[in-house]
Amino acid sequence: MVFSFFRSGDKAMDEVEDRIHQMLIDGRNVYDTAMEAVFGGGKSKKAKAAVKGADNEINVAQRDVRRALLVHASVAPATDVAEVLSYMSVIKDVERIGDYSKNLYDLARYGVNFETADDRDELAKYRDLVGQLISDAAATFQTRDTQGAEALVAKAGGFLDDYDSHVKAAYRSDGSPDVAVARALYYRFLKRITAHVMNFLTALALPLDQLDYYDEPNLDS
Amino acid sequence: MNNRSSSSAKNYFPAPIRTLAVIGLLYLFLGGVKLLESGIKGLGSDFTDALFGNVSNPLVGLFVGSLATVLVQSSSVTTATIVGLVASGVVPVDSAVPMIMGANIGTTVTNTLVSLANLRNREDFKRAFAAATMHDFFNVMTVAVLLPVELLTGVLARTAAGIAGLFAGRSDLGGSFNSPIKSAVGWLATGVRDSIEGLFASTKALGVALVVLGILLILATLTLITKNMRVLVADRIERTMNAALAKSGLTGLAVGLLVTVAVQSSSITTSILIPLVASGVLLVRNAYPITLGANIGTTITALLAALGAGAVDGLTIAIVHTLFNVVGILLIYPWPATRYLPVRLAEALAEVATRHRSLALVYVFGVFVAIPAIGVIVL
Repeated sequence: MVFSFFRSGDKAMDEVEDRIHQMLIDGRNVYDTAMEAVFGGGKSKKAKAAVKGADNEINVAQRDVRRALLVHASVAPATDVAEVLSYMSVIKDVERIGDYSKNLYDLARYGVNFETADDRDELAKYRDLVGQLISDAAATFQTRDTQGAEALVAKAGGFLDDYDSHVKAAYRSDGSPDVAVARALYYRFLKRITAHVMNFLTALALPLDQLDYYDEPNLDS
Repeated sequence: MNNRSSSSAKNYFPAPIRTLAVIGLLYLFLGGVKLLESGIKGLGSDFTDALFGNVSNPLVGLFVGSLATVLVQSSSVTTATIVGLVASGVVPVDSAVPMIMGANIGTTVTNTLVSLANLRNREDFKRAFAAATMHDFFNVMTVAVLLPVELLTGVLARTAAGIAGLFAGRSDLGGSFNSPIKSAVGWLATGVRDSIEGLFASTKALGVALVVLGILLILATLTLITKNMRVLVADRIERTMNAALAKSGLTGLAVGLLVTVAVQSSSITTSILIPLVASGVLLVRNAYPITLGANIGTTITALLAALGAGAVDGLTIAIVHTLFNVVGILLIYPWPATRYLPVRLAEALAEVATRHRSLALVYVFGVFVAIPAIGVIVL
């Protein structure tokens, strides 16, 4: 503790950014565990513990990052102002990836199993798209790739409407309610995860005042 | 973030350059103390008696120390100046002890002023004001106990003299000791004196010029040392503060001491705590030991100044500063009955100040400006 003063190491903000990156990795892990359960794995004590444990770690990390940002702002008030403000905002989006993944796992708890569903391939397509989006966001953040972040936001924005179409289709479906509800919730959760990843990426791609406004025509500017 | 590099652009000096700058500034700081000492000696006893005669009254000494620190916003500048005054023989150690104690009280004004920035938000302000004023209460309580004891027994000065004698290799007060630092600094002071000597008609005028130059040098170098050190160790401070947020007791003390020694300013350490406490991330009680550690850490500046001055008396008063703060902590902190008394008093004051916020301004002006100023004038 006190000896950490004498330890040389990364800059304090680098440690914050490493922590945020790790939160994204953990978010991807929770997501994968939840999806395994929804696609045939079903509920299990092991999966439940894994989802709960990882989500809890993300929540702890969120508070740690907030505290670290406040300490940074107190110790070096004139530096990294934009980073402190934007991280304070987008850390919430990273945390939500874990939350919605937990909601996806709850579908398996309710007995949803997409592995044997007729539309399994369509469901799996979006599962893989979102999973890849989280990983790409983590990689983009790690390298501070502004252009990569812009490209990802544009790409992810392209399938936001698809989720709405699927939710509408489930609503209008004549099939059994449990099938329709499962799909409506599934696509709704995927849309929320996608939106939060996009919000997070705006921290890299857009000026501070434009955070979260990925859907307005200012990305190119 | 994409604008990270631009926001950090003000840190354009690489660390090795800053480190070299700090070493150079430390040398100039010690030179400033030596210039001050040398200038005072040149003023003549009639002039210095008239100027410093009043501080033989302990209360005047206390108020002068406090007021001077409030004016320059740095106890390090005041204590280094006091070391110079004592080393020159103008102010005896006994008279300087209350001045040192006053500097300890005066230094708490900075974080109290910082806490006023939270006036707009009731809860934040209550926490911030409590965190700031617990430092005031602790230092005033320590002075209230130790000043009478010191006046009656001289225990701090005698103990410090004994320790100074051990370090200096001699026990006679008023003597001097040799050190490589003193020799190096002496060369600078003599050089400056010799080069400006011809500009002044009298020894007294030269003395005044050297005193002014010495004080300006102390003020400027300490400001720059603090600024550079703050940049140099910012990441270490952040790591340590992050680790210390949920801790209390000795860990907090050690953190406060380390950070303050590193940045050469207790005001920086205690001011960093205010936004953390205001936001509720750091509890007032966890900030308390960090503040006490800062009290000890800030005494390093006077000790450094004493090494440059090379007078046993100067070293003695610097050690008094350290002893006063260590003994103060030992008197109050280890005992459950008294440990959190400053915190409770500060929280009670913050409660009142939150309801009547103008009272906070009255408190700051009264304690740090009006009372010491009236004291100096009346006494």
